[in-house]
Amino acid sequence: MNIQEAIEKLKNKFGEKILEASSPRDNRLYVKVSNDVLVEAAKYLRKELGFDMAISAGGTDYPKKNVIELFWIIWSSNDNVTLILKTDVDRENPKIPTLRDIWLGVQKFERETWELLGVEYEGHPNLKPLLLPEDWNEGYPLRKDFKLEPYRAPWGDG
Amino acid sequence: MSDMMVYRGNPFNEIEELGDGMFRLHMGPQHPISGQGRFIILTDGERVFDIEVDIGYSHRGTEKLLEHRTFIQGIVPVERMVMIDTANILMGYVGAVERILGVEPPPRANYIRTIVMEMNRIISHLYALGLLSESAAWNPAVFLWTTADREPFLDLLEMLTGARWSYSFFVPGGVRADIPRGFKERLLVTLDWFEKRIDVIEEAWIYNELFRMRTEGMGVVSRQEAIEWGVAGPNLRASGVAYDTRKNEPYAAYGELDFKMVTHTAGDAYARGWARVEEMRVSVDIIRQAIENMPDGPVRVRVPQRAKPGEALFRVETSRGEMNVYIVSDGKDKPYRVKISPASFRNFFAIEMIPKTQTVLLADAPVLIYSFDPWFLDADR
Repeated sequence: MNIQEAIEKLKNKFGEKILEASSPRDNRLYVKVSNDVLVEAAKYLRKELGFDMAISAGGTDYPKKNVIELFWIIWSSNDNVTLILKTDVDRENPKIPTLRDIWLGVQKFERETWELLGVEYEGHPNLKPLLLPEDWNEGYPLRKDFKLEPYRAPWGDG
Repeated sequence: MSDMMVYRGNPFNEIEELGDGMFRLHMGPQHPISGQGRFIILTDGERVFDIEVDIGYSHRGTEKLLEHRTFIQGIVPVERMVMIDTANILMGYVGAVERILGVEPPPRANYIRTIVMEMNRIISHLYALGLLSESAAWNPAVFLWTTADREPFLDLLEMLTGARWSYSFFVPGGVRADIPRGFKERLLVTLDWFEKRIDVIEEAWIYNELFRMRTEGMGVVSRQEAIEWGVAGPNLRASGVAYDTRKNEPYAAYGELDFKMVTHTAGDAYARGWARVEEMRVSVDIIRQAIENMPDGPVRVRVPQRAKPGEALFRVETSRGEMNVYIVSDGKDKPYRVKISPASFRNFFAIEMIPKTQTVLLADAPVLIYSFDPWFLDADR
């Protein structure tokens, strides 16, 4: 598969819903989609373009834009291309369908993102604390408004 | 009586009875075989129905800490993710930072990095093999051998970097120091000796009938499952997927060296153990080539303090498998967001999935777990 061809195919299929598609270096494909076509786009990328192995998922908090940018990183075992699939969700009410039915390997990463960024993955079977203590109620650490001061060591590091 | 004194049942009881002859067994976090985490095993005393890996006991918030440190300050928290494999882990972060700063390290630094990383891979694989043999309750002597065999490499790394581990040796733009006098000769002698040691380990352990009986056909991961679950590293290659970041996306000096990728098709615990032994041979081969073909020149270049706004994804083959570091920058001297996806995090998911697809016996659970070479500090970050 040629990366440029893949970009063309995506644009033909989803049109305006592809907000951004580029390949800044070899073996990389960055695709940003509107969040209402996320599941269809993911299915298309898996079935038609052959991206089959999930290697990461997560999110980035942008309080100024009032969005959380979610990403899923998928590798194609046939073509050796790494895809970074991105979409924005509303920061006040971050809800998105889970992609674990398409790529099973993202299940644990989505669980982690739910815990650390507070993104609700709808349809995810196992959203429970993973890295933080079971009784943690001090907010979402990876959000930008999470304050580190209460956790600073008395000797001033960090 | 205060609230604290009321006994509510200990959530960390080793064994919970669930009725119908079913038990929930908590292996860890203070179990000799568990490491710094907990395996929650659902069993009827013989068959394992479910394994849940409870990670997070050593979560340090590395990703958050990195947002509050400059690029070069981030080296210290990152390399402490896996103390036994610091060079490979650090390469992931340093490589991603170099990519976002837009700098290339000088060629000589690339070769020195390759040597340090491959020595680290040998150290880490030796430790993993020792733990696998211990968990198979087969022969603790192998653990003692492999621990002893790491020493010459640790000494060499001390000679080169000044520390036995957590060297902080790689920095954006190169490495901290050039190779000292006498290092090459000592390294070549060590490699000759170590190749004979690999033969001994292989003969005593890998070809051993007892070990084969214990591990062959156990914990099989098919090629399709390995891709589906996102298994990483030697475990992935033992299932027949030809993915090695060193080959598929060469970094450091790997693109200029000629080495073989170890793949097996069986996908069982035996293949995973054997793949590690063979990978040590490949590492010896890589180090020999790197030290012979090393170009002259500087080992470090100046790098800009600030990155341009943008993002970079760097994939690196650590000893436990492929790790990727995704950095988003907003133009400051600190990263805006760093996402680190370590190999053990993905391998733990495979450990959870295996009892759902095949029969696993309780006595085999430690072998199953250690054949993946898990590392909790890696997954916890």
